Amino acid sequence: MHQLQPTIESMPEQAKPLGRAIVVTSGKGGVGKTTTTANLGTALAQRGASVALVDADVGLRNLDIVLGLESRVKYHVLDVLEERVSLDEALVADKHSEKLFLLAAAQSREKDEVDTEKMRALIAALRERFEYVLIDCPAGIELGFKNAVAGAEEAIVVCTPEVSAVRDVDRVVGLLGNRFRPQLVINRLRPLLVKKGKMLSVDDVNAILRLPLLGVIADEPEIIVTTNRGEPLALRKDAPTGAAYHAIAARIAGEDVPAPMPVTKETFLDKLGAMFGGKKA
Amino acid sequence: MWILKGVPYERLGTWRVALLRGKGLGLELVFAGRELGEAFEELEARLAERPGFYRGTSAIVNFGNAPPSSDVIVKLQSLLNEAGIELRALTGSAAIETLAGECGLPYEPADVHAAPELDRRRALRPRAEMRLSESAKSLVADFAGARADIAERRRRGEASVPQLELNDQPEPPAAEPSRPAALHLVETPPPTLYHTGTLRGGQALHHPGNIVVVGDVNPGAEIVASGDVLVFGRLAGVAHAGAQGDEAARVFAIDLRATQLRIATFIAADAESTPRVRTVPEAAIVRDGRIVIVPFDQIDQLQERGISSV
Amino acid sequence: MSSRKIVITSGKGGVGKTTTTANLGAALAKRGKRVILIDADIGLRNLDLVLGLEKRIVFDLVEVAEGRCQLRQALIKDKRFESLAILPAAQTREKDAITEDQFAAIVDRAAEIADYVLIDCPAGIEAGFRNAVAGAAEAIVVTTPEVSAIRDADRVVGKLNDRGKPIRLIVNRLRQEMVRSGDMLSVEDVCEILAVELVGIVPDDEEIIDTTNRGEPIVLDEASRLRPIYDKIVRRLEGEIVPFTNFDQPGFFGRLLDALKAG
Repeated sequence: MHQLQPTIESMPEQAKPLGRAIVVTSGKGGVGKTTTTANLGTALAQRGASVALVDADVGLRNLDIVLGLESRVKYHVLDVLEERVSLDEALVADKHSEKLFLLAAAQSREKDEVDTEKMRALIAALRERFEYVLIDCPAGIELGFKNAVAGAEEAIVVCTPEVSAVRDVDRVVGLLGNRFRPQLVINRLRPLLVKKGKMLSVDDVNAILRLPLLGVIADEPEIIVTTNRGEPLALRKDAPTGAAYHAIAARIAGEDVPAPMPVTKETFLDKLGAMFGGKKA
Repeated sequence: MWILKGVPYERLGTWRVALLRGKGLGLELVFAGRELGEAFEELEARLAERPGFYRGTSAIVNFGNAPPSSDVIVKLQSLLNEAGIELRALTGSAAIETLAGECGLPYEPADVHAAPELDRRRALRPRAEMRLSESAKSLVADFAGARADIAERRRRGEASVPQLELNDQPEPPAAEPSRPAALHLVETPPPTLYHTGTLRGGQALHHPGNIVVVGDVNPGAEIVASGDVLVFGRLAGVAHAGAQGDEAARVFAIDLRATQLRIATFIAADAESTPRVRTVPEAAIVRDGRIVIVPFDQIDQLQERGISSV
Repeated sequence: MSSRKIVITSGKGGVGKTTTTANLGAALAKRGKRVILIDADIGLRNLDLVLGLEKRIVFDLVEVAEGRCQLRQALIKDKRFESLAILPAAQTREKDAITEDQFAAIVDRAAEIADYVLIDCPAGIEAGFRNAVAGAAEAIVVTTPEVSAIRDADRVVGKLNDRGKPIRLIVNRLRQEMVRSGDMLSVEDVCEILAVELVGIVPDDEEIIDTTNRGEPIVLDEASRLRPIYDKIVRRLEGEIVPFTNFDQPGFFGRLLDALKAG
């Protein structure tokens, strides 16, 4: 069993700044909250920060799968909240990144079993030990959302370039209010479709959302592959998507790095299709 | 609610038939436009929507300047009888008086019932009949029943906007320009709600009085005001002005692209699927029984309501 | 002939519940069935958007539940079809604005005037999910062939089994080339894990994004390859035995690429 050894613990109490608690949310399901949480956490940890990832989706946990840690999870958030185990025992060390830890959600429990105040205290406790606490929020705006947001001070809002996603995200941003200083990650953009006018552009999305843009991630089949295999793309710093996550992590850390934007990559098939003027299969 | 000659009344307006109901006056049916067949159908549907609601009331029918043939009157009478409404008299121009005589019905001169407001608006109405596109007509038909229901809910006191408490004093005689007639009529009107910031989807502003938003109103957001709605930004959600029945209420926006517009009991949506290109601020107002959108610099007939409520 | 009340659910968000509800409803209506679609996602309504009907909304589900209007007045007829109507959700309210009993009562009222009532379920397994399921007599679970989606679908299947409702499965967004390369689970794998009767396999199609944005159900597009797929699902729902399209046959380019890879 892995013991928790973050470097921050050795620092004197007064000098230790409180870590940043950021909830990753969207309202709409399936836009990539969990993937974003896993990848940003990985990127931040690869850059040397200590990071705790919290899966707040009680009953529908997925963050562990995306990190490839499902076989290593022994205890979950509710075990800690209900004081059956300590935080140290429940935190799972990541396979790939040294300073990254996961607190998994309970799979066979319900969201209304989470006490909001206790959740807040848990996040506060994590902030004392980690520079970043990223909370993976469930879809929707019900109790699960409210609990995930409790204890967070900042928000990253993930949106795909689709009309229904923009509507739902807008709703969530309205619910968050000004307190969380939400910033936007646009996920699953397909530049070629945008060019053909068959997908919303970054401007279309942000014309409604009006949020500071952290970056844009392109849609790639690789993402599904890595999710299934439990190897976040952020581990590949030199690949385009991995680099994009690292750029976003740098921006979160306050560095003056431009927001990553995907480039149009026309594949051979696209060019062929364009030549014949037909629909892509 | 409006106060008309001391009697509160409801307006269920369409661009063809207006059904008015007042406690002391009974019903006044106003037939504007010439397609009587469709107007009849609409009236029939409207009466069928709430069977028994009008039973025991009497109605006078206003044909304006266009007297129909006498068998139309017979048809109307039987339609009304079925709903338990007595056709009490005909009203309108002098030509109607002749018709009334032919049908053995009393005639009442029109000006007894028309408010000065109503007359002025009628005078502004162009002679030519409205031509609506097919999709616009279908939207109008869609909304006809809904409008009646909104009005009905208001009648039952279920407005989402708290009711203004207006004095039950009789309206003073036609005001001379120098006289502050407004002060006699109402209590201090509620202040304008002034909201800074973008209204996001799922958020709603409800207020008796005017509402001003400095910012955008996103799709999925809702604004309901008893007075005017002014958006100093983009209006994309649903805006309802004059929610308590004031048809003179207006909706203004720098960029007017509302999902749906409502003024009093009128509802409108853009019938075209491709959004219009907006280059100037615009206002939505009710004219001739429907909501129209007018470029800001062309509103010279901003109806004054005699009450300063900004 | 009793009408059918089916909830379309998934657990995981974003797998295509709303798109499936809209397209199944459209396909059923094209076959002459009277269909009412109900959006149960209060606060995050999307069914109206996906069908391009958002500007016709005057009343919604919550107002019907509160008795402020009748069901009939809140229903929006989709003019592109003979017999398709939707009951939109409320946008400015939250999921606790309605109880399970209220929702079930509305579904029953809808069932009196329709052959099929399809309920678009919100993501998750919280109160919104419970309300949506309360009204239904059967369920269709939608999943994509990805591990997280299947895990969530499994949780939902468990909950539905608890309530004794017959369940059928639609595997959505299948990318056969990824199945062949082993990067995505096959339909057989999915069915094996979930152990639920399969009623449809829908391949991934990038046109769906655009049609959803424009509010036009893809079954209206005669050239779309998804149209016959939804037709088949509808036929199976009606009790017909219809063989599943074999997506394992690579198309022209698939074969070309395979040949190129083989050298």
